[in-house]
Amino acid sequence: MTENNKYWRGIEEQSNPDLTKKLADNEFATAPETLDFIGDDNVGEAETSRRDFLKFMGFTTAAATLAACEAPIVESIPYVVKPDSLTPGLPSFYATSMFDGQDYASLLIKTREGRPILVQPNCEAAFNTCTNARLQSSVLNLYDGARLRGPKVNKKDSSWATAISQAKSMISDTSVLLTPTIISPSLKKAIETLNVKHITFDAISQSKRLDVYEELLGKRALPSVSLLNAHVVVGLGADFLGDYDGQRFGADYANRRKPSPEMLRHIQIEAGMSISGANADLRVKARVSEYELVLGHIYNYIAKKVGQPTLKLYPLREDIKMQVLNSAQELFDAAQHGLIVSSFNSVTGEKLALAINQMIGSSCIDTSNLVYLNSSKDEEIGQLIIDVAEGKVDTLITLDINPAHDITGLDLSKVNLVAISEREDETASQAKVILPLSHYLESWGDFIPKDGVYSVAQPTINPLFDSKSAIEILFTLSGKNATAKELLQESVEDLGLAKGWNSLLHDGFAETSAGKTLSFSDLTIIDITDVAIGKPLTELEFYTYSKTGMGIGKYANNPWAFELPDPITRLSWDNYLVMSAADAVKLGVENWAESNGAMNGTTVNLKVNGVVLTNVAIWVQPGQTEGTIGMALGFGRTMAGKVGNNIGWNALQLLPSDESYAAVETISATENEHEFASVQLAHTMMGRKIVNEVNLPDYLNKPASEWNERPTFESFRGPLQPSEANLWDDHDHVTSHMWNLSIDLNACDGCGACIVACHLENNVPIVGKDEVRRHRDMHWLRIDRYYSSDMTPEKAKKEGVGAIEKYAKMEVPSESPSVTFMPVMCVQCNHAPCETVCPVGATVHSREGLNHMAYNRCIGTRYCANNCPYKVRRFNWFNYKGNDKFADVNPSQDDYGRMVLNPDVTVRSRGVIEKCSMCIQSIQMGKLKAKKAGRPLKEGDIDIACLNSCGSDAIVFGDINNPENKINEKKEDPRMYYLLEEIGTQPSVFYQTKVRNRA
Amino acid sequence: MHYESPVRNPLILGDKSYSEITNDIAKPIESKAPRSWWIAFSIAFVMFMWGLGCILYTIGTGIGVWGLNKTVDWAWDITNFVWWVGIGHAGTLISAVLLLFRQKWRMAINRSAEAMTIFSVIQAGLFPLIHMGRIWNAYWVMPIPNQYGSLWVNFNSPLLWDVFAISTYLTVSTVFWYVGLIPDFAMIRDRAINPVQKHIYKILSFGWGGQAKHWQRFEEVSLVLAGLATPLVLSVHTIVSFDFATSVIPGWHTTIFPPYFVAGAIFSGFAMVQTLLLIVRKIFKMEDYINIEHIEMMNIVIMVTGSIVGVAYITELVIAWYSGVEYEQYAFLNRATGPYWWAYWSMMTCNVFSPQFMWSKKLRTNLIFTFVISIVVNIGMWFERFVIIVTSIHRDYLPSSWSMFSPTFVDIGIYIGTIGFFFVLFLLYARTFPVIAQAELKTILKSSGENFKKHHNEHGTH
Repeated sequence: MTENNKYWRGIEEQSNPDLTKKLADNEFATAPETLDFIGDDNVGEAETSRRDFLKFMGFTTAAATLAACEAPIVESIPYVVKPDSLTPGLPSFYATSMFDGQDYASLLIKTREGRPILVQPNCEAAFNTCTNARLQSSVLNLYDGARLRGPKVNKKDSSWATAISQAKSMISDTSVLLTPTIISPSLKKAIETLNVKHITFDAISQSKRLDVYEELLGKRALPSVSLLNAHVVVGLGADFLGDYDGQRFGADYANRRKPSPEMLRHIQIEAGMSISGANADLRVKARVSEYELVLGHIYNYIAKKVGQPTLKLYPLREDIKMQVLNSAQELFDAAQHGLIVSSFNSVTGEKLALAINQMIGSSCIDTSNLVYLNSSKDEEIGQLIIDVAEGKVDTLITLDINPAHDITGLDLSKVNLVAISEREDETASQAKVILPLSHYLESWGDFIPKDGVYSVAQPTINPLFDSKSAIEILFTLSGKNATAKELLQESVEDLGLAKGWNSLLHDGFAETSAGKTLSFSDLTIIDITDVAIGKPLTELEFYTYSKTGMGIGKYANNPWAFELPDPITRLSWDNYLVMSAADAVKLGVENWAESNGAMNGTTVNLKVNGVVLTNVAIWVQPGQTEGTIGMALGFGRTMAGKVGNNIGWNALQLLPSDESYAAVETISATENEHEFASVQLAHTMMGRKIVNEVNLPDYLNKPASEWNERPTFESFRGPLQPSEANLWDDHDHVTSHMWNLSIDLNACDGCGACIVACHLENNVPIVGKDEVRRHRDMHWLRIDRYYSSDMTPEKAKKEGVGAIEKYAKMEVPSESPSVTFMPVMCVQCNHAPCETVCPVGATVHSREGLNHMAYNRCIGTRYCANNCPYKVRRFNWFNYKGNDKFADVNPSQDDYGRMVLNPDVTVRSRGVIEKCSMCIQSIQMGKLKAKKAGRPLKEGDIDIACLNSCGSDAIVFGDINNPENKINEKKEDPRMYYLLEEIGTQPSVFYQTKVRNRA
Repeated sequence: MHYESPVRNPLILGDKSYSEITNDIAKPIESKAPRSWWIAFSIAFVMFMWGLGCILYTIGTGIGVWGLNKTVDWAWDITNFVWWVGIGHAGTLISAVLLLFRQKWRMAINRSAEAMTIFSVIQAGLFPLIHMGRIWNAYWVMPIPNQYGSLWVNFNSPLLWDVFAISTYLTVSTVFWYVGLIPDFAMIRDRAINPVQKHIYKILSFGWGGQAKHWQRFEEVSLVLAGLATPLVLSVHTIVSFDFATSVIPGWHTTIFPPYFVAGAIFSGFAMVQTLLLIVRKIFKMEDYINIEHIEMMNIVIMVTGSIVGVAYITELVIAWYSGVEYEQYAFLNRATGPYWWAYWSMMTCNVFSPQFMWSKKLRTNLIFTFVISIVVNIGMWFERFVIIVTSIHRDYLPSSWSMFSPTFVDIGIYIGTIGFFFVLFLLYARTFPVIAQAELKTILKSSGENFKKHHNEHGTH
């Protein structure tokens, strides 16, 4: 019976077994005969229905569409084996040095994940330990997308082997190697091996000065100068705080300008307003063609005093005569503490300056340790131009130099050109063979900038492109095959240093035996009887100068260098003719503000040395000597790259580097206008106490309350300090750290290095000329520059001038202004106007006395920026990292440029406010460091970018709650004051009164 | 006993009967739009679209397309905002305050004044939104609970107060306006022939039946809302003025701002009502309802508030001088003699001098002259806001940051766009809403009794 037992799964199975069976058989349905019409001639008979076809087509179309929408893939590749020296998230520092023909510096390079991102001074080094704005921006030159990607032969991409063999085949006995000054022993060795004629060229020639010392000392070098022992320094056309002959004095100068009875007195005699002139206690306006005459009169004055024969001279202009003679008297009185520095290319000038220094027995000049940063010989360059023109040079090899732009008259079409260059510039583009040169951060190198100093350069990153260092290229050309490191090690061995290789790389420098030349006092008294001083020009004269941002033009594709406003004119992205107001009136030219605050100016057509430039911009410069017009070097490039092409004019075209000045043949105003990018529209302080300034005698003899009066408010409780007359509850300033920052206006010389350093450290966006012109520069830190005016509130009161007239006159800077610089960043108010007005609380106060900005929370009402009395808040008007308008200028829009961004700092989005955070990332890093080491924070744990870049020690940062911090001393200094203290903002940043050494 | 006021002139002219009033007021809604309406609407619409384009361009590209800079971070945006809010002031004043004071002449104008209020507050509200760098996060200004822990709005910020002030004002004004509209919508519903139209007005009129109970509730709600709205007349512009008064910027940081702003707002609001009604009464032939007495009354208000504003301007100058504060003194001197002197003197001429003509009865009853002055006043009030905002911040404490401002085509486009948007709304309103509160108006038809007597004499008692 059991086998008859039948179980069904449902009533249907019992009632309709056939159907059930049929369904069971079909449990796994066979695939439909898909697309079986394909390839079939009888499409009409195929089983695939039109409906199926449409389904398949729909599916495939959708699938293909979806597949096309590829999600962006961000690859991040972890280290399989972590390099010993590298921890992601932590920076590594490397000591290195660089020399580019103008700047020599010992540097510390901060790298993150293998990318150099910040330049800091190597403070322990022996020579030129402070950076300037150019050196700060130099790291961006590394990531310049316009650099050469590899060797080129006949303008076509090639390989190193081919290019080198091609170059070798071109070199013969009549070849010439043209380079900037070479101070590298290894490179010199390579050049010797190459066995061609070597000519050096300095864009700012010191040739005639060098001639004087070559004759005296037998070495083509300049004496080193120190201000540490100086009481009176007279600068004659020498902008020794900006660009002198390669030596940098910022630190010494600041040191000697500390207010005390022995404070350095600085007199500057110059044509155009330079950084040095701006800092001087007395500034005398002389024409460049008068420099020799001024020196002659100073010489005569002192010679008369010491009973030496005097020179026969043309008289000085009456309006500067007394100032010059008083300066001579001061120099004479200072005796061995006096110093006159001149840096214009003239044998007579240098001899006179030297003779004056000898007469007063100056102890500030050191001729036993010479400086080798200049070497060019004007005659050699002149001869080269002739030789090339006559076809006597078959191949010209250029190394890191751009003669097509810098040397007027050199006809490069007459030679076969081998260019060793970072980029395909005006010169390299004409070359048969281009050998790409590595950036200094990718190269090995060594330098002897000065007797007794040896320093090395080490790469901080592998070459980004297929390039090689100068040493390697030159040795390869001379047939020697070795890596740059091996070649360098060889040189180091030859020198026989006490320091080992590793410690040399670690320190970046070594001290070698000092120079053996005569000391200054043992020098023979220079004979100046044969000196003849010509009559100064009476017509308009033209001269060139170097700007702190651009220098001689190595930074002509560097947006940071362009965006940095000139410390004096406060113009960025431009060069122009600086002209005195009197000359401007005569010529009928002017500058004016457009309705949106942007500056415009008349242009001129100009002819100098037979060369005509048309539509050249004119900038009316207070303090400019009448009868002189100056123009900055390094501009007017046509093949620098997308950033720097066609900006400004090439001043060297008008005036070769060996000439100091030339008469203007013709100049006339045109109908055309020039658009400037000016970041400062008003130039005077309008009688307000912004930069507090006092003269030395008052500082020394009067109580601080007289020259540093703090605001008080009358109240029913008697006079109150702004911090006491207060509506708000105070923040807790005691429990935690309390960060304060002091800026010494006496130490700050306005050089602008801190501005660029701040850009680097904080990824501050670059916005380009048009936006700067609209006053939308993004600088977190700016250096305001103020001129004095002939009208003051006191004068107005005395003369009974009405208010309207008074203010109108106070807006006009004096023709011989006293100039002050004031760095302004967010002052981190403890009662911050910005904090109260933000509707969403995006800017809030920290427990450590800082004013935080939460970018993520910001909705961009800009109320905070309006309510900021210091106007330090910056708004992201556009998406700078994506908007096409900024594609050419903003590094973050470039695949290479992006590598310079500091990974510790957010790149801000469009529509948010940003401002100085006091390098909050560094503060956190410092705290972490101390915490890991299990000790309290100490001075120096925290690297503030601006502080680090300041060679003058103008900035001091620290915790006011830590009595050991130097900042406490600064806060107690009688010179201390707060900017706009009367508003009651209680800033954490304070200033030190500027003291000028004048009566 | 019957008492007749001997002094009051009739508020409605032309011997209107109830049905004539109804016909007159329903006419624009029931008849085809005149050609002039289409022309005006087209122009306004094009302006609106242009402005919309500029707004979208701003949102797509960034605030950088405006003429602002690091020093002048607000200019036309906030100028326009305050200007529109100011214009939006008269509506509440007319409807609420005058209701409480039983000023019956308001009945002819309150509907349009309130409409104007709402439409201009809409324009005003646009600016704080679009001036934000990141408008997509605009909701962060609302105290909305969020997942970020204690992240909250900043109750110290006057901008936040603005958010509350403006939104409250807009809400109360809209409700007040709508309540007044209900009996009138019902009237149109009852007359409508087109079923669609009838249905729409049926919904809009909330089932109004005109019963005594309805009227009683209507009166009560109106009174309560008037009571609520009255403080808003003072608060809205007071709070808007706090945007400036609580700051530290010389020229902004001024305790006189609240009353000064309120007076200025009423001033500009009445001028705008005047401008609009002079057009409306002409086009829709409503001279009998909005008659010369209304216009004269409003001109007197304009004159008085204009004088208050003038006193405020002079007070500011005197206080700046008296304060002895360098920055304050310079700020005001710079207003009058600096690069924006033309804006300051435009403001002075338009706001202080021009309303003084209204002392003359001949001039204040002259329609053309009134129309011109009403426009001049609004130009002047725009300049007042521009002067306060731009000339104060363009030169504040540190001369190094001094700058200038010049509008770009986007700034101008957005401003023109809001004017277009305003008129688009107003013109649509004029064609679909009863522009005069006819139900209320009918209550004053007999207030003089003259008509009644005349009627009585002619037809006898029956």
